[in-house]
Amino acid sequence: MITPGGRFRVVTVVETLLVFLVAPLAVYLLLWALTYLPGGRKRQGVRYKPGQPWDHEPVWYEPQPANAPTHAAGHGDTQAVGSSLYGEPAAIGSGDGHGPGAGVATAHGATAAGSPDHGSTIGSHVIASDSSPAPAAVGPLGGARGTW
Amino acid sequence: MTRVLQAEAHDTGTVDTAPNRADEGYDTIFSYRELARLDEALTMASRETGLRFTLWIGDLGPKTRIRAEELHARGGDPANSVLLAVSPGQRVIEVVTGPASARRLPDRACALAVLSMTNSFASGDLVGGIVNGLRQLSDQAGHPRSARTH
Repeated sequence: MITPGGRFRVVTVVETLLVFLVAPLAVYLLLWALTYLPGGRKRQGVRYKPGQPWDHEPVWYEPQPANAPTHAAGHGDTQAVGSSLYGEPAAIGSGDGHGPGAGVATAHGATAAGSPDHGSTIGSHVIASDSSPAPAAVGPLGGARGTW
Repeated sequence: MTRVLQAEAHDTGTVDTAPNRADEGYDTIFSYRELARLDEALTMASRETGLRFTLWIGDLGPKTRIRAEELHARGGDPANSVLLAVSPGQRVIEVVTGPASARRLPDRACALAVLSMTNSFASGDLVGGIVNGLRQLSDQAGHPRSARTH
């Protein structure tokens, strides 16, 4: 350092340590704390790790209908707004799993969650209970299977 | 002295103000961002191909294939639909195509998509695997002739 007199001043050991050791350490610790200490951004949802059990309700997601209405809800629809802004037929949320359409209730919105017992959730979709009529065979099915 | 009002809790909701589905708790498997990704992937895959892609995430029981085919048949328009049934607990994915959709999506294409999905699943990325698998399947299926406008 240069003193007002233009002469170099002797830097003490303490100052050296402060500048070259304590200051970087402080920066490092601050970043570490911001990164790893809890209480930061909370993660929604579950973190899936292969091999852990999956004890969630089954969910069935389906695409948004192609000719979906653009208004929020029409006459006879609930005002429930899921991820989508499409109205939903009110009978679906009635909870017995027997909405319109013979056991398979069709609701809009891929952000669906439902259970066989009460199929009332956001944007939702009722999973048909096991008592629904046996579906007619449509012919040979294809597909693939995989494990991991 | 003022007294605290001893008010009992009544459900005062009317038809319009009653709690609706958005107010109820639901199983938050995915975050909203992940749900939005799934939503877009399913919707865009279905719109591009004209097939109906649906996604089941849950247990498939001991006979996974039979259960998946049951679900496929129950899901509305089974001939034209494609079901992705993922059972993370059992580490199984089943892709079921109907008779009409199997013509656009041969088993070999499904197996390829399943392979890429299981790759992601094994590293713990459920949503990413599903989104990529849907993209792969819809690319393979292509546009239907009726929907081709250009």
